[in-house]
Amino acid sequence: MAEADTKEAVEEQPPEPGPVGRLFQAALPDVEFGVIETPLNETLTVTRDDFARVMDAAHNDERLSFDYLRCLSGVDYLTELETVYHLYSFSRKHTIAIKVRCPYEDPHVPTVSHIWHTANWHEREAHELYGIVYDGHPDLRPLLTEEGLGYYIMRKSHPLAEIEDWQEDYLDAIQKAKEQAAAASGEAPPVDEKARKIELAQKKAQIIKKTRDKARDEGLSAEDQKAAVQAALKQFEEEQAAADAAQPGAAPAKPVDERAAKIQLAQQKGALIKKTRDAARAKGLSSDEEKQAVAEALKKFSEEREAAAPAPAKPVQDRAAKIKLAQEKAVLIKKTRDEARAKGLSSDEEKQAVSEALKKFSEEQKG
Amino acid sequence: MTVEHRAPAEHELDTIDININVGPQHPATHGVFRMVLTVDGEVVTDLDPVIGYMHRGNEKLPENCDYRQAIGYHDRTDYLAQFSTEHCFVEAVETLAGLTAPDRAEYIRVILAELNRIASHLMFFGAFATDVGVFGTAFMYAFRDRETIQDLFEEVTGERMMYNYFRPGGVAWDVPDDFSERTKQVLAKINSGLNDLDGLLMDNEIVLARCRGLGSVSPEDAINWGLSGPMLRASGVQHDIRRAEPYSIYDRFEFDVPTGDQGDVFDRMYVRLEEMHQSVRIVEQALAQMPEGPIMAEGMKRILRPPAGEIYMRVESPRGEYGVYIVSNGSDKPYRHKVRGASFSNLSALRAMSIGHYVADVIIILGSIDIVLCEVDR
Repeated sequence: MAEADTKEAVEEQPPEPGPVGRLFQAALPDVEFGVIETPLNETLTVTRDDFARVMDAAHNDERLSFDYLRCLSGVDYLTELETVYHLYSFSRKHTIAIKVRCPYEDPHVPTVSHIWHTANWHEREAHELYGIVYDGHPDLRPLLTEEGLGYYIMRKSHPLAEIEDWQEDYLDAIQKAKEQAAAASGEAPPVDEKARKIELAQKKAQIIKKTRDKARDEGLSAEDQKAAVQAALKQFEEEQAAADAAQPGAAPAKPVDERAAKIQLAQQKGALIKKTRDAARAKGLSSDEEKQAVAEALKKFSEEREAAAPAPAKPVQDRAAKIKLAQEKAVLIKKTRDEARAKGLSSDEEKQAVSEALKKFSEEQKG
Repeated sequence: MTVEHRAPAEHELDTIDININVGPQHPATHGVFRMVLTVDGEVVTDLDPVIGYMHRGNEKLPENCDYRQAIGYHDRTDYLAQFSTEHCFVEAVETLAGLTAPDRAEYIRVILAELNRIASHLMFFGAFATDVGVFGTAFMYAFRDRETIQDLFEEVTGERMMYNYFRPGGVAWDVPDDFSERTKQVLAKINSGLNDLDGLLMDNEIVLARCRGLGSVSPEDAINWGLSGPMLRASGVQHDIRRAEPYSIYDRFEFDVPTGDQGDVFDRMYVRLEEMHQSVRIVEQALAQMPEGPIMAEGMKRILRPPAGEIYMRVESPRGEYGVYIVSNGSDKPYRHKVRGASFSNLSALRAMSIGHYVADVIIILGSIDIVLCEVDR
């Protein structure tokens, strides 16, 4: 994470506070401020314990008198949640950004809505989007999302909705078809890479938490805690690698890069077309003959290609097969219905006849 | 009416407050906005604004786009001041990445943003006069002039609504050759149109009777509630980000910052009308100063990767302070992309402004905020 890098760099060489930062230091000599260099305004970081005092002083201290809260933003830093307050002073004409962090497990920050009324809605928004609880806020109902959503949409762990969500049935059908095809051909079912990664990450997170809690209970120092966590992680990774090696089937096959293959194919075809056309022109053939020559060459090329490497079962072919199946079924349905009508059957009987015919058809297909 | 119909005993009956639901689909709420009024007779005793009907994840989506793809999402926040929103975003990215747009691009941006301000305020006058009861006439006047600006924008950007024209480092392409002449034509039409509006509305008895002294906000309250733009200036706070913290090239122009003195609905209208005159002044100066030259910074990469850091950029949009807070982690996508909508903060003061007024007046107070719900909900 680049963010972590910059943070470390800041810790190595703390930048000097600017003029507004020095005012804060003068107003609150016993509070430790972190300084981050940002364009357009100065940025100070404070700890959660000092936060309420700092904001109180920012508004009430004569030298600071920040009377305007411009913006309040929540930010998700994966292990910590941050709230950023951009303040402006109409009387002093200066600006500042103040940042306070809280851990994921305990996302509580004191409210500032009693100091700046405008914070009321801003805090409601950050609460519903990031799950930060602003202690002392009069009314933390959700503002933009529906009530009782149960998850925080702006957190990085919440995925962006993908088109697949609306096509779940379709996707499931493809997945099942692939599994069946794989089972028929005796290969291991394809492993869902993404799900596997997520599972792995979750397991790791559990180990980290468990080890850390244990180390804390034992009263180890921060460095020893880190070392213990790292050792546990290493052990887990080794175990995982051993497990993977024991099950060669479980190791994911490298996915075929379909796009690259397609591009390559197109390039080959392009070269062939050019070659054939040049040859035809050299022979002085007419334009129609030239076209025919190209078409023949292309046909030959694709035949050779199919003969050389039988294409693996692809969802595309599944789809063609499905379409064909559906067409056959449609023909069958029409035929059966026409027959039923010719016989003068009732509508219920007609339906039954169709469903029987379909049943028979699918049994034949299976056979 | 002094005729007493009720029996004397009826006076001793208990009264209850009644809840009235307004919206979300209601012509007076300027979009999909709902409010639950609690009324005692005709007087509003409580108001609960319900927003979020337009929430489309306009902060989350750009966090999954690269910096140039995110421009279009800003058009879709404040859809009446698209150039201001784009301006804010591209200035933020430029500051973060250490880019400087060429002068000509900056002038184009300022001219378009100021014309956009006029178009947005004309929209306000059309809609607001309808709220007040000057039905139709002002709307037609305002839209006749707004249409000339829309035409100009269409000639420049090819779009009537979602312009997507500014880029980090400049603008997408140069303006047409006759841009200067066309803009002058548009300005002439606007000037005469503004006089029409002035004569129609500012001395209008209906408007005065309904707007004077309504929904007054003191300067202290305005600041504490986070109001900005015309809402803040109507309360007498002479604050304009273009003047107080100049961004882009706004330090090169002469213009006044009009303020009101009572902070009521009429002052908000007055401030907006005056602002349009000031915007005309700025556009005239910018047209005179606009240099020839490139419209895009040199050495722009296809994919922009600003260094790790963060920035809060703010512009004076027609509705007030439009801000963008971007946290970059050095990749081609913003790590955090927060939009501070001016309407969002302005609307949050609606409850405090409305309590104690008649239901019919609450509609006018809401109209005077000039909300754009897409910016509120994002």
